[in-house]
This record gives sequence, structure tokens and C-alpha cells, in this order.
Amino acid sequence: MDVLERNNVRVEGAGPRTMVFAHGFGCDQNMWRFVWPAFAQGYRVVLFDHVGCGGSALGAYDPQRYAALDGYADDVVQICRRLGVTDGVFVGHSVSAMIGVLAAEAAPDLFREMVMVCPSPRYIDDGAYRGGFSEAQIHELLAFLDENHMGWSRQMAPVIVGNPDRPELAEELTNAFCRTDPEIAKRFARVTFLSDHRDALPRVRPRCLVLQCAEDVIAPQEVGEFVHAQLPDSRYVLLDATGHCPNLSAPDETVAAMTGFLASPAA
Amino acid sequence: MSTTQGPADSRTSPEMEDLEDLFDTAPCGYVSAGADGRIIRANRTLAGWLGHDVAVFSGKRLQDFLNIAGKIYFETHFAPLLRMQGFFHEVALDLVRADGSTLPVLVNAEERRDAAGQLRFVRVTVFNATDRRRYERELLQARTALEELNRTLEARVVEAVEARLATEDALRQAQKMEAVGQLTGGIAHDFKNMLAVISAALNLTERRLRTGGDVAPFILAARDGVERATALIQRLLAFSRRQALVPVPVDPNRMIAEMVDFLRRTLGNGVQLRTELAPGTGQLLADSSMLENALLNLAINARDAMPGGGELVIATANRLLGVEEAAGQRVAPGPCVTIAVTDTGIGMTPEIAAKAFEPFFTTKGVGQGTGLGLSQVFAFARQSGGHVAIRSAPGEGTTITLCLPQLPAEAAGPAHDASGAEILIVDDDPQSLSLKVEMLSGLGYAVHLARSAVEVQDRLASGPGIALVLTCADMRGHGGRTLAQDLARCRPDLKLLVTSPAAGAGCPDHLPWPAPLDQLAARLQALLDPAR
Ligand SMILES: Nc1ncnc2c1ncn2[C@@H]1O[C@H](COP(=O)(O)OP(=O)(O)OP(=O)(O)O)[C@@H](O)[C@H]1O
Ligand SMILES: [Mg+2]
Repeated sequence: MDVLERNNVRVEGAGPRTMVFAHGFGCDQNMWRFVWPAFAQGYRVVLFDHVGCGGSALGAYDPQRYAALDGYADDVVQICRRLGVTDGVFVGHSVSAMIGVLAAEAAPDLFREMVMVCPSPRYIDDGAYRGGFSEAQIHELLAFLDENHMGWSRQMAPVIVGNPDRPELAEELTNAFCRTDPEIAKRFARVTFLSDHRDALPRVRPRCLVLQCAEDVIAPQEVGEFVHAQLPDSRYVLLDATGHCPNLSAPDETVAAMTGFLASPAA
Repeated sequence: MSTTQGPADSRTSPEMEDLEDLFDTAPCGYVSAGADGRIIRANRTLAGWLGHDVAVFSGKRLQDFLNIAGKIYFETHFAPLLRMQGFFHEVALDLVRADGSTLPVLVNAEERRDAAGQLRFVRVTVFNATDRRRYERELLQARTALEELNRTLEARVVEAVEARLATEDALRQAQKMEAVGQLTGGIAHDFKNMLAVISAALNLTERRLRTGGDVAPFILAARDGVERATALIQRLLAFSRRQALVPVPVDPNRMIAEMVDFLRRTLGNGVQLRTELAPGTGQLLADSSMLENALLNLAINARDAMPGGGELVIATANRLLGVEEAAGQRVAPGPCVTIAVTDTGIGMTPEIAAKAFEPFFTTKGVGQGTGLGLSQVFAFARQSGGHVAIRSAPGEGTTITLCLPQLPAEAAGPAHDASGAEILIVDDDPQSLSLKVEMLSGLGYAVHLARSAVEVQDRLASGPGIALVLTCADMRGHGGRTLAQDLARCRPDLKLLVTSPAAGAGCPDHLPWPAPLDQLAARLQALLDPAR
């Protein structure tokens, strides 16, 4: 299967350089709907869905391949190779910031700049490191997911009623935005919240922007600061926006921070 | 209505009061949050559910009241959704109560914007979903169980079928064993009887050889036993090979007379066996072993119907089957021979009689009857071009009548020397009686039996064709000698022959017993046909 189809890749705009947007856990490329248009004039914009999310090919989901973030990173590399991306800009939200880190390490020619929106290299506290969650909390999350009650109750409906003969019913009940397959979302959550890629940060070659929100329960301020401290070449911006999705809740502020970063000369 | 604006006054307005009440006591939780996601107010219903004071909510965010999974999902899924489409509906979340326990809820959220599109606040409604969550959990469990069931269905069907087949096999095997058991039991019994005859004949031969007498009759008796055993073996072989059986001309009277001894032993002491063999019955065209078998089955059924004892009569007669009756039975009209087996047993209800010929119909307990006896009799009668009928009523005994076509005279074999002559044997010793029956019927006489002097008058009455009475001198009670004198007096037309172990009694009607067959034959012939 073609990677463009597999990852529901969408290419917009035009420009000498390519800006690749990667969504995080819980949504799809819609996450960037208020942000990417701001860059479509100066960049070739690439949007995609991780396998298992949005309009990706669910059948391409291979639990083995996606048992670690490296599988997702490899998808990014494949997409960029397919589109001939070099010296591009990678914009990754949440867990995808770390996916970008892994992709950049695997294929150093792909990106010259990276924008990390609410990144976290590890969610679970570890000694002096404050990831924001205790191990018990993450296990509570995973246990809760296994119980199958999380998510849209209406999305659960087809699961409960068990009507595989009428997928259009599920389609209709599921949200138009941020569609996720509940089973895959469960696995993605496990991979995300158990990941630890702190050691990769000092090896990052591209110039980085770390966008941190106030009151982010998923990636607290300390984590953003840790990432910034570990990266060899980074700029840290603490947004006024609260929560975990400034790209949605404060798109203007997000765009402004990105534009400022991209316009600034490399150190 | 007050014109003064202010919170104190709005609280006094009845409409406001009503709205406040509606807000606070609604059956669902209400939360209003500002554009920044901070709660402006929550209603008392929600506060009550969570065990908090309403004041606790203001300034907090909804996420603060969610469990950890809820927090994460809210941030990663529902907050983005609310922002993108302006609402989310029926999101299943768990709220954490003041005491740390969780409350399953369904949450709806909707953004309220002003005319300029600016976000004013977010209206959140919360429904208690305790029941629904439990129901969903049960549904999911049932679904999982069902999937498991479906997954293993095929295997379980195969398993069940195999188990069923195994059981049926075992049952069939058990039935086969039971049938084999009955069969071998019956055969063993028959063989024992035949061997007893042979053994007795050999004993007598031995004794006779010592005393220098004639052994021919005993050798004859022994040979007869051997022949019958051979015939039985052939029948078994025929049975095991399922050979088509061969109809031959059969003299029914003779056959019945030959079976009497065997039947009597089968019936046991409680049942009196009597034959009423009409003289001059024609011959039949039938498989003789099948006919024997049919008679045996009828006799056994009769015995079973008379657990307290009774009488069994086997009677033969000639009959002309009329066109109408023949059509009713769907057989050819014409002369036929009937063999009627009558018992004084329990009889049958019309319902049982209607089903009695059906294969496997039995009223006998497990291991007692297979329900095949009468069906074999029926099949035999049909195959022989005849039919069989039941006459029975509860408490009044049963008569089962075989009606078989007579063999046309020209087809019949040469008549026996003594054919037609009827002889009444009177003897209270079964051994001796049976030997006499064998010998007389072997010579071709029709035989009537009486086990005591008392029975004699009845037999003579029911057998008007009787020409000769063969009695014995040493009967208990009314002695044979006295009987002979009585008979000579009141029935001078009857010929008499008295057997006695005591040799040389000097009477003209005396015959020393046991007598050789030829001697017996000569005496009988001399008495019955003095002209020859
Ligand atoms: N002489 C009889 N008197 C009363 N009932 C009889 C008589 N003969 C047959 N029946 C009834 O008809 C049934 C069927 O008889 P049939 O000979 O076919 O089978 P069975 O005697 O039960 O078993 P099997 O002969 O196979 O050992 C008997 O179970 C009994 O109820
Ligand atoms: Mg029977």
C-alpha cells in the first residue's frame, strides 16, 4: 500500500521548503486546521494521520510495528522520502514531538527545524525527573482503557451492539473530527504513556522550538523545561494558552511563536 | 416588581427564584465554564453527587474532577473536539467524589458564542450513568462470552455429535449383546434338549445291549436328535447369512406334533399344552423352520400372557377362504389351513392388538421382549401367501390364527402310511409321553394328548376323529388298566393299546414299554387296519 494512502497524507500550499505537521495522541490532522493555513503561502504543507487515526488505513495497523514510537517515526520517514522532503520543518504535537525526534535521528537530512508543541519524552515520574504522572496513575489509565469505557459512548455503541455488517452506522455515530479506532487508540495510549526517549534529546540535530502551555496536565511546565534543557539547540516559549492543545485553543499565539522562531536566524 | 437592579433584588424576583430552583434541582448536573475553561458555577445536583459544597467548583476546571484517565482523554480528545465542532455529546467519563470514589457519568458540552462569534461560556450537562455503565459492562461481557461461544461452536458441535454417536454405538452394541444373549440362551436351551434326547437314547442303547435287546428304536431316536440339532444349526447359519428361506410342502399336523415336546419344555409346568389337529388337513407350502419359529413365538407369547399358568391349545383346521374374505385380507381365495394358537391369558386391549404386529412393539420390560416375535409371524404369513389374525380381549385370552394356503393335492408328496389316523396318547410321565409323541407322529399319525385319565373324556369329545387310545398301565390315581376297561365298556368303537414296563402281562392290548419303533408301528397298524 502506498504510504500516502496509508497515512491519509494531504499536501497543501507551495513553497521552497516543506512543513510536516504530525498530530498527537487522541486526534488526527484536524488538530492543525487553525494553524497550517498560516504557513501555506511560504511552505509546502504536509498533513497526515498516524495509522489507526483519522482517515488512515486501519488495516495497515500492525501491532508489532506500532508497539513502539519507532514504528510511527519510520512512517514519518517513509512519507517524507515519498514526497522528497529534505531540510524541512517538522511540527509535532504532544507524543509526535518525540516521534519527530526519532525520525530526525533516523534520517538526519529530513528536517532543519523542529517545532515541539507540548512535548514530553517521558510521562511517568522517575527519580528527580517529573513527568507529571506517577506510575500508578498511568497504570490506572491503562486499566481504565482496558475496561473499554473510555471515549464516546456513542462510539461505543457499534462496539456494543456489534454491527460489523453496517460500518456506515459506526461511521455516522463516530465523530467527524478526531476519529480513532477504539482498539488502536488503546494501544497507542499504552505506547505513548509508557514511552521514555529522554536519551534521544541531546542527540537532536535540528534547531528546535519548544512550545509549552500553562496548566497542561499531560505535559507540565517542568517537562517542557526539561526538554528545552536537554536539546542542544532550542528555543523555549511559554504560551499564555492553557491545556494541552494550544494549536486549537490558541492558534494565533501558536502561529506567532512559530513564525517568530522560523524567521529568527539559526544560532 | 422592583426597579432596583442588583443581585439582592434579583434573588427576590419570583422568576429568578424559579430559574435558580430549576438550575439547582434539575435531575442532571449543570456546569457553566468560562472561555478559559474555568467553572463559573455548578448546580446543587452535581455538588450533591460529588459530595462537595457548590462553592468548591468555581475557579476549577471540569478536568479537576475527573479521574486520571478522564483527565488525559479530556485533554487529548474532548477538549479538541469541543473546540473544533463547538460541542461534544454523551462522552463517558468518571467523576471523582470527595471521598475518592468514582461516579460514572455521561457528559455533554456546548460552546455558547455571541453574535461576533466570541466564546462566551461553555454549558456542560452531566448525567448519572451508573446504571448505564453497568449495563454496558454486562453487554460487553455477554458479547465477549458470545464471541467465545461462537468461536468454539463448531468444535462443540463436533464434540457433541461424537459423544452422541458414541452413546448410540454403545446402545446399539448393548442391544446387540442383549439379542445375542437371548439368542444364545435360547439356542443353548434347544441344544440341551436335543442332547438330552440323544443322551437318553444312548443310555437306553447301552442298557439294551447288555440285556441283548433291540437297540434300533433308540438309535433312531438318537439320529432324530442329531438331525434336529443339524437343522437348528442350519437355521442359525441361514439366519447369520440372511439366506432366503425355501418353502417346501409341510404337513402342519405332523410338524406340530413334532414340536409338542419341545414346546412343552419351553412353556414350563404352569401351562397345559393341548393340540387339536384336524385329521386330513392339507399340506402347506412354507419354509418349515420359519413356520416352526412362528409357532414357537406364538407359544412363548402365550406363556408370557399366562404368568399364573393356564392352557395353550394349538388347533389346525381346513378352511375354504371365500372371495370376499380373501379380498379383505388381500390374499388369494381358495382352500387353506388354519393354525390357531389359543391361550387363557391376560388378553389384549384393542389398542395393543392393533399394534401387536408392529416391529419393536412390546409391552414387556427392558430385556424381556424385543417386540419382534409377532412381526416375524406376520411377515412369514404374508410371504407364504397367507395372513394372520388376532382375536383377543382383556381377561379373556387370545387366539392368534395363521391362515396359510393349502398345497394343491397333486403337488403334495406321497401320503404317509398312517396319514389321517388320530391317536390319543394318555400318559402322566412327560418323558414317556414325549417319546410316544415323537414315535407316533414320526409314523405319521395325528396325535392328541391327555396327561391324566380325567382329561380323556374331554379329548375324546373335542377329537371325534380319534380312533385309538394309547395309554399306559402304571398311571397314578386312575390307572391305565382301569381306564382301558372303562373305555372298552363305554366306547367299544375305540381301539386300545396299553403300554407297561412289566413284560408279558398277557393281555391282547398290551405292549411292553419302551417298545421298538417297528414293533409299535406294527401293533398300531394291526389294530387300526386289521384288513391289511
Ligand atoms: N398371547 C398374547 N396375549 C397377550 N398379549 C400378547 C400376546 N401376544 C402378544 N401380545 C402383546 O403383543 C406384544 C408384541 O408381541 P411380540 O411377540 O411382537 O413381542 P414381544 O413378545 O413383546 O417380544 P419378543 O417376542 O420380541 O420377545 C407383546 O408385548 C404383548 O403386549
Ligand atoms: Mg413375543
